[in-house]
Formats: sequence, structure tokens, C-alpha cells
Amino acid sequence: MRRFDYASPATIDDALALLAGGDGAVRPLAGGTDLLTLMKADIATPERLIDIKRLAELDDAIALDADGLSIGALATLDDLEDDPLVRQLAPALAEAAAAAASPQLRNMATIGGNLLQRPRCWYFRSSLVHCWLKGGTECQARDGENALHALFDQSPCVAVHPSDLATALVALDASVRLRGPAGERSLSLGEFFAPPTDDRRTENVLAPDELILSVRIPPPADNARGTYLKAMDRKVWAFALVGVAATVARDGDRIGAARIVLGGVAQTPWRAREAEDLLVGQRPDADLFARAADAALAGAAPLADNGYKIPLARTLIRRALAAVTADGAPPA
Amino acid sequence: MATLRVAKPHDGEGDGEVQVVEGAAMSPWGPDAALAVVGKSHPRLEGPEKVTGRALYAYDVRLPRQLVARVLRSPYPHARVVRVDTSAAAALPGVHAVLSAEDAPEIPWYEDSRLFDRTVRFVGDEVAAVAAESVEVAEDALRLVRVEYEPLPFAATLEDVLRPDAPKLRPDGNLAGEPKTYRRGDPETALRAADVVVEGRYSTASALHNAMEPHGCTAAWEGEHLTLWDSTQSVFTVRQEVAEKLGLPEHRVRVIKQHMGGGFGAKQIAWKHDVIAALLSRRAGRPVQLMLDREAENLAAGNRNPTRQHVRLGARRDGTLTAIQARIEQATGAYQVGGEASNVSGMYQTLYRCPNVATEQVVLYTNTGPAVAFRAPGHVEAAFALEQAMDELARVLGLDPLELRRRNYAAEDQTEGKPYSLPEGLSLCYDRAAEAFGWDPAGSPAADGPKRRGVGFAAHDWAGGSGHPPGYAWVKLNADGTAEVVTGTQDIGTGARTGLAQVAAEELGLPLDRVALHLGDTATGPYSPVSSGSATQASIGPAVRAAAADAVAQLLAAASATMEVAADRLSVRGGRILVDGDLSRAVDVADVTQEIAPHMIRGQGERGPNPEDRAIRTFGAQCVEVEVDTETGEVTLLRVTTAHDCGRIVNPTLVDSQIIGGITQGIGFALTEERVVDGRLGLVLNPNLEEYKVPTVADVPPIEHAHVGVPDTVANPTGAKGIGEPPLIPTAPAIANAVFDAVGVRLRDAPLSRSRLLAALAAQGTDGEVRA
Repeated sequence: MRRFDYASPATIDDALALLAGGDGAVRPLAGGTDLLTLMKADIATPERLIDIKRLAELDDAIALDADGLSIGALATLDDLEDDPLVRQLAPALAEAAAAAASPQLRNMATIGGNLLQRPRCWYFRSSLVHCWLKGGTECQARDGENALHALFDQSPCVAVHPSDLATALVALDASVRLRGPAGERSLSLGEFFAPPTDDRRTENVLAPDELILSVRIPPPADNARGTYLKAMDRKVWAFALVGVAATVARDGDRIGAARIVLGGVAQTPWRAREAEDLLVGQRPDADLFARAADAALAGAAPLADNGYKIPLARTLIRRALAAVTADGAPPA
Repeated sequence: MATLRVAKPHDGEGDGEVQVVEGAAMSPWGPDAALAVVGKSHPRLEGPEKVTGRALYAYDVRLPRQLVARVLRSPYPHARVVRVDTSAAAALPGVHAVLSAEDAPEIPWYEDSRLFDRTVRFVGDEVAAVAAESVEVAEDALRLVRVEYEPLPFAATLEDVLRPDAPKLRPDGNLAGEPKTYRRGDPETALRAADVVVEGRYSTASALHNAMEPHGCTAAWEGEHLTLWDSTQSVFTVRQEVAEKLGLPEHRVRVIKQHMGGGFGAKQIAWKHDVIAALLSRRAGRPVQLMLDREAENLAAGNRNPTRQHVRLGARRDGTLTAIQARIEQATGAYQVGGEASNVSGMYQTLYRCPNVATEQVVLYTNTGPAVAFRAPGHVEAAFALEQAMDELARVLGLDPLELRRRNYAAEDQTEGKPYSLPEGLSLCYDRAAEAFGWDPAGSPAADGPKRRGVGFAAHDWAGGSGHPPGYAWVKLNADGTAEVVTGTQDIGTGARTGLAQVAAEELGLPLDRVALHLGDTATGPYSPVSSGSATQASIGPAVRAAAADAVAQLLAAASATMEVAADRLSVRGGRILVDGDLSRAVDVADVTQEIAPHMIRGQGERGPNPEDRAIRTFGAQCVEVEVDTETGEVTLLRVTTAHDCGRIVNPTLVDSQIIGGITQGIGFALTEERVVDGRLGLVLNPNLEEYKVPTVADVPPIEHAHVGVPDTVANPTGAKGIGEPPLIPTAPAIANAVFDAVGVRLRDAPLSRSRLLAALAAQGTDGEVRA
């Protein structure tokens, strides 16, 4: 790892002042489970780290008010997995947290950092490959070893977003509260995550001098339920081959509202709007779920090695929908 | 009792060759021997040190003024090193020594290459090294080394090197040695005449050892004496090779290894890190520690060779095998390395009785790190193919796969014409595994929903487990009646320290807590061979027993004088010397040793030769049950039952540990472990524990060990053979056979990944996917 400076400011304003003008060479540090890994591999080479774990106004609180559930950016995945409010009001998030990483990592990793983690693409993670996402001109995965890569083509890069939480949070219509030099702003996660562009080779629109303060999940609709299902190469401690988060609100015996979000298939959490539209107003049954699953994957453009993700995603969608519409399933 | 006779007979046959004969005859512990310590579970003697973090591994050595070294590795799969400029690195404050092709001694290394060669042949090949006061300074220094490379054409995968237009990686081409061929009978004619032929093309991925403890050492000089604390499976091999490379006499090199976090075959030799650390230490005048990081470990310190295997079996309608044919292609990586023994063709020649067998094994160079032995090298790869082919044959014939194997039972090594030392060994494995598992090939539940269950069976033999003579042990009896056993072997994490101490305690008639076992130090112990081939217990157990017997004979002679009883009426048990087996007239061993102190009883023992007229082998049989989710391609193991002929079970807990570990690696080989190489870039994409997926505890089902435990009294006087490697061998084919049983698709490429399984299910139309 290269030499870097370290600062541990006391207030958010101090932290923002330290981040200002750093243009990426100054990076906030929370759990460090991704950033330090990138630094050890010489992928990220910040000159200065700003420890944000001791900022007075930044916390790990999980609280409920009229606007829903508010989760401090420093809440760990372990906090989310076990928190009674999260389990009651946003079980898809608790399930996603529990399915992520390993217990050791979940103890360290924060929700803010989790949303900002970089792709796990092995070309991106190799210090020997100067790929497009790192400022190069070519995506080596596109015609290379791409079994773990994207089904939906969003940019020159075919890496996928690795966050389980992001998939669940988009399905929960969550937003992030951000603070930068110009003050605070809130963005829905659908706006926050954005495929990288030539000018912004990251997976979100957070400015280098902004911090995530908290994540907000609106109150669930009446009769809403949600779940997160994840397929991995082994039983635990692996990134999602495909993850599916589904939230469905019932309107009598029909589906009143639905969100279906896929992870592991695109550079951002992938919202299957065609499938959602197809579900609304319908009576839930296996045939409907199968049609929704087909609709969700209709636009998939598999690469040479990742076609298996299509049937996998379809199956997880069907199963997630069946789980959240089955009689006796827990509310959410 | 030590005997060593050297002769140089001139008898016309092997004329004038020196022959060494040693090892006094000992009567073996038979099946009915009443043993007090051997055969009982006992926790590892060093267990408390390990679980409290106090056990000293190579990395834990901290010497005054110790430096840390890092190695600059080639970013190219194949290139000429035109120029290396280390001046800026050397000038960095905190850097104390630098080495590269520009200034390192021309020390011969792999084949005809050098320690720092002018040609690099894989990404990760060593280019330069620095020793500095911290890891950070060392890494900064490496970034200051300027290397001019001239890239050369490369082929990094087996597929690429087999292409007709593949570049020539060596002046003589890409073959690493002449193809190895074996033939008995006339398999071509037999195949034509066979009632049934099954044929398949199989492949196995390159697996990475990923021992928890990487390769590495700490090197320190005192004057002209070098001490290496190395993570190695053979302290004596490392000593001999390092002495030779550095031009030192062997008595000036000491190699120590007390505890080890696994080797799995990749730590049998002196690796470059040993000599680099020693050279840097000499230059710096300070101790140097050089541990590989996970990436270097997975690029440059060994891998299991990937294979492609084309298999044909011919049989009569009753299941009698009439022909076995296998053509094997395998990639050895950039160099052929000592300690490599991937004899993929061996199992085809020996596991089943068959008069007509032909194997051809073609080994190719590729621009990837050198392949080395990996836990049952060759047999793991071969079993994946042969044992699936046998399963397929059984299904074609409508036979129980186990019954098919019984009908082709080999009781002798057909390549040497020698009967096995325990001819019924494999048969006992069949019986025990099938009985404990409740083997019933027709017993899988009918298809119901997307999840299907199936059972699979696979068998194996293994050339290892017999022990490699010679090897030596000493026993000292202390004045207080305790014993110290000294050997030059090593405990590579298997619990050899405990198993050997149990043998010593048994023969000495002492409780285990009165025995200390010293090993892993060339300066204090006598020669012992490499701990490979599942050999440590079988190699050194008999030597320890012989040394203990020597000590007991001396003890009883002394007791005869002090007790005034004829020696032949005396025996030792539970730390007491008995007269005519009578406890009431016993004295403690300490009474005798105190009496003669400070004079001391010293026993010496050696490992005699293996019998010449028998083939010593280990065998096993495994049953697994799986559940396959036909819609997601997820394979879940439900249970594994395994039985092994490892001779006498010296310590059931330790044997179970080997079985659990081996099967765990087998699960990885079957389902998830695969070194992924980008052939266009010549780059290993997953040299890490994140994307190279070893199984976790959640992936490992309940494992039942059905004991065979029949002492192999022909093999050696303890009756124990090795168990380190065998449990892994049948796991992957047993899983593949169970997957076939569950869903009816035959996956001939390992690992059985989701993409392969889903593709096969879709091709068969049984993927169970619901489409609108």
C-alpha cells in the first residue's frame, strides 16, 4: 500500500473542508472493507484519508418517524441484519445484509460504504489491467472472461454493481441524504446510481466532496411485503451472481404496486419496470410471475459466458414474487 | 538396535552398485495387538499453542534488526528482461539490499533457467527483490525499479498451447518431455470386440492450493551459518537444495519448521524465496523475512495442472472390463518443477482389473506459474474422469455402479505384477462405505418440484501412503522417567507430532504425557524424508517405534540389574516396569532411570525398506448425496460417507481431520475452484480468495467416516499407512455421479459450475424452468 495521510476530523464541516478540492485524491474512510482492499491492490491511490467514523453528526442510528425509516450512514451490515425495525419494516434489506459478505466483514462494513463500493470485475481489480473504468480505453471483460458480468448494456464497461443492499434499497424506494459544500440534498437511489460515463467513471453521482449522511426508506404501503433472494457460487461469502429484490403491495386480491430490482446484471441496480407494469392490477399466480420474469429479462444482452444468468434471474424473480404474495408471508 | 550395512556386491546384476540394508526386523502390531495409546483419539499435543496464537509459524519469527523483503514480479506472460535499473530503489531510505538479474549470482533454477532469469515465462515470475525496514518501504522500492521488457509471444492456457499456430515457448517446442505411454494387452482390438463401449472427453481445471499459510521464510546468518525458518514439507530437502544453490556445506545450513498452515504438496522443495531471502540477508547483514502474499502464492508457488482426458472403456455385457484407453493432455506451466508428480495415467492402469490398457500422457508448457504436486496429484484429476466413465458404464449395462466395480476388482498392482500388501483393502472400503451410507442406487426419490436428489459413488487407489524409507528417530530417556523423541521429520499440519508421540508412548510403555516429540529442525534431528505422498506416519512411525524398542531393551536390561530379575521377565506398561506382567511387583520407569542417572538410555531407530514383493497402496470409497435445484443450478451436498484403507488408525480424531479437510477440498474441486486465465492477456484473473472460491463451512455437509482400520502388517511394523491425500480423490466424481443420478446430465468438465449445469439442463430440456 502506498503512503497516505490520515485525518480524523470532529465535525462534518471539518470533514467536508478536508474533502473539498481533493478531486478524488482525498477519500472518506468508514469501514474500509472496500477502499483499503483497493489501496492494497494499487487500484485506489488516495493521498489522504478522512476518517468519518468519529464525526459528531454522522451516526449509525436506525430510527422510525413519519417519513419512514432513517438509517445513519455508519450503520453496519450487522446492525441492519439484526435491527428489529429493519426486520419488521424492510425485511428485504435485512435479508440482503445477512446475505452479504462474511460476519467479519458485516461487522465492519457500513451502509454508506456498501452503496459506494466499486465493482468486483477481475479486470478492474487487477493492477495489471488499465481498463476503461479505471480511465483506459477498453473494457477487457466485454470479450474476455465475463461469466460474472452484465446482462444489460449500459456503458462501455460491463462490470456489475456488487451491492446486495443497493438492490434491496431500490426496491424499497429508498433515498440518500447527501451533504457537500453547497449544503444538503436528497436523491432517490434510482437517481443516485448511474452507469459510468466517459466523464464520470463511477457507478453513482456522488461528488468527490460529498458525504452520504443517511439512507431513508419510506413507510411501507399497506399490505406490502418484500424479500431479497441471492444466487452465489457458494453458500456464503460471495458476491451475487444474480440478486433479486421484490416488493409487492396487495390491493385486495390483486397486486396494487410492485417493484422488482435485479442485482448482478448491470452496472447499477436494475429495475425491471416492464415486469412491474405487467404485475400491477393482476391477480398473483404462477403464470403471471413467469410472464413477469420473462418480461424482466426480455431486454437482456448476454455476453459469451454469462447467459446462465438469464434463467437464474427468471427463477429468482418467480420465487421472490411467490414468496411475497403467498398467504401467511410476513408483512413488510 | 540401529543397523546399517553397506555392501557393494559384484554379482553381475546391478554390478558394483552400493546397497544399504538397515532396519532390524520388528514383529508388527497385529490386528489383535492390545495397544494402550495407539488407536485412541488424543487432541494434538500443540493444540493449545495453536488455538491461543502462540505457536510460532515462519511468519511469526521476529529477530532483532529483522528486515522484510518483497519481490517484483513480471507483468508479462513471456518476455525478455532487457535491463533492470534498481538504483532508485536502492537509494530509498530504509532499503538495505536489492537483487535482480543485473547483479544476482547466476544460480541455476528451474530446468535451464536462473534464479533471476533474463527470460520471464509467466505473470508473477521473479524479476527483482528488495529488503527494507518495513513492508511499505519495500513496496515503495519495488515501484522505483525500472525494468525494460521485450514482450514475447505466449500461450497461457492448455487450449491455446494445443492450437496448431501456438508460439514455440521453448527451442524444442512446447512439449515438457516426451509423452509418457503405457500399454498392456491390446486395447484397440479389445475395444472393437467389446459388447459395450463408453467414451467421454473430460477436463479438469487448474486448482490453486491456497494453504492458509503462504510460502515464506525468515533467513538469518551467524557468520557463515545460515538459519532458515521456512514453511516447508521437507526441512532436509530445503537444506540440501539451499546449500547447493548457495555453495555452502550442509552443516552450515539449518532449516527449522515447527508449525505449518498447510502445504498440500506445494512446499516440497526449496523455492526461490528461500534463496532470495538468504542472499538479501547476507547483503544486508540483517535477518530477512520473505513471505509471499496471496496473489504471489497463487501466481508463482504452484497449482494443480489442468487436464483434458479422452477416455474409452470397453466391457462385456456382464460388466467385465476388457479395455481401458486414456489420452491425457495436461499443462505443467512455465517450468517443470521438482516435487511435481501428476501421474494422471496411473489410476487408469491400476484401479480395475483389466488385461488391455493403454495410456498416453502429454505434458505441455504454458505461460503460467509452474504446476506442482497438489494432494494426490494426478489421481484427483484421473478419478474425475475414470470414475464417471465407470458410472456411465454401469448405467449402460443396468448394473449397480458398486457392483460393476466389484466385478472388476484388482487385488494386485497390474503394472508390476505384485499383490497388494492388503489385497482386500479396497473391498473393505466398498463394504464399509456402502453399509454406513445405506447405498441404494435405486433409492433416489421420484422427481418432485425443482429440487432433485441423487446419490453417487466413486472409488480410488493411491500410490502414496506407503511411506518413503529411509528415515530416523532417536529416543532419550530422562532421569525422571520421561522420554524425548527426536526426528527430523515435520508436522505439516496433519498432527504428525501427536501420532508419532503415540507410537513412541505405546512402544515405551509410557503414558503420552511423559513423551515429548521434537521435529522440524535439521540441526537437532536425524534425516527424515519429505512429508509428501501421505507418508509421514508411515515413514517415521516405524522408525520411532524402532527407536523406542531399542530404548526399552536397554531400559529392561538396566532394570534387570537394579531389580535383580531376568530381563526377559520384565515389560513396561503405563510407565511401570512389570515382572512377569504382575503390577504388584512393578517399579516406576523413573526408579530405574534415576538409579542410573546421569547416565542415559538412548534409543536409535530407522525405517526399514518396504517389502519388495508387495505393492503398498491406499484405497477408498465414497458415497455422496446431493440435491440439485434444476432451476438455479445450485448443487447442495447433503451428506458424504467415506471409507479408507489407511491401515491401522493411530489416532481417529486426526484421521477424521484429514478426511474432513480432504473432502472439503474435493468439494471445491468439484463445484467452485477454478483458476481463471485470460488467454489473450496471459493473466490469472482470480489469484485471490475472493474470486477463487474455496468451500466455506456452509458448503460442507455432514461427513461420516466409516472406519476400515485393518492394520497393514505387511506394509510396516506399525500397520499404519497414510490418509492425508486419499479422502480428496473420489469426492469430485462421486458428486458428479450424484448430480447425474439426480438430474440425468453428465458433466464432464470440472468444476461443475452453475453455467455448465444450467446449460446442460437446458440442452436436455429438464431445466425445470417455467416459461410463460
